[in-house]
Amino acid sequence: MQLTPLHVKENTTIQYMSHELLFLAQSGQPYRGTVYVNFSSIGETFDLLDFKKYLTSLRDKKFNAEDIAYEIYETITKSIQIENLGVIVDVTARGGIQQRLCYGAEFNAVQKKNIFQVR
Amino acid sequence: MDEKEYKTKRAKEVAQLGAGHTEYKYEYAPELLETFENVHPQMDYWVTLNADEFSSLCPKTNQPDFGTLIINYIPNIKMVESKSLKLYLFSFINSGEFHEDVVNKIGKDLVALMQPKYLEVIGIFYPRGNISIHPTFSYANDEVEYQEIKKYRFLNRNLNPQRIG
Repeated sequence: MQLTPLHVKENTTIQYMSHELLFLAQSGQPYRGTVYVNFSSIGETFDLLDFKKYLTSLRDKKFNAEDIAYEIYETITKSIQIENLGVIVDVTARGGIQQRLCYGAEFNAVQKKNIFQVR
Repeated sequence: MDEKEYKTKRAKEVAQLGAGHTEYKYEYAPELLETFENVHPQMDYWVTLNADEFSSLCPKTNQPDFGTLIINYIPNIKMVESKSLKLYLFSFINSGEFHEDVVNKIGKDLVALMQPKYLEVIGIFYPRGNISIHPTFSYANDEVEYQEIKKYRFLNRNLNPQRIG
């Protein structure tokens, strides 16, 4: 899926996060996770509505969990011109094992709570 | 029933747990639910099941919804087997469901399955349009003590409202 580029000031560091990542393992078992995207703008970012639709489109697609960060990285780099893109995916534990997948530039993924979520 | 007999009986009751191959269904599938026998029916005790990965679709827009389901129950003769519950909850992935409806649907399916003494299903859904919806289903059988639990929990829900973080 192609993400629509939007103009943004150069040298802006942008970080997006979603707790609503869902995709399927090769076995068909759903995986849930949190995705973090971080990059430096060279004049472009992507349309957030497109990004939401893209994440939603993954919910019936099968991936090895280890490939999910690369899949998101590739989709972004094919859509817009940016620098220092990094993608981190924290997948919920399966069989008691927690996975974090990272692709691209390293960054510190700040865990933000959804401020409207009642705990 | 000695322990060996119990384990043999329980292993026969559940087909999906420990099966070599698991088939995931992506349409609402209540037939996946399985039970096993409660060997302490003379005791009243709570069982809580937390499902943090529940997801269904908005029936109007088809956009995904996410939430945590908390199932509390006091078992009678039958108890729900947790792997079958997991597969059953996964089967809502492509179902268009309003939050209020799906919590009641799950509650009714579990009541029909187990005929528990008491059961409640609480849905804590992610916000949409900055509003989060938290429906609660509750059921008690006809015995007075469980009806009293239902009444008490119904009347006292959210006396201390949760804070927004």
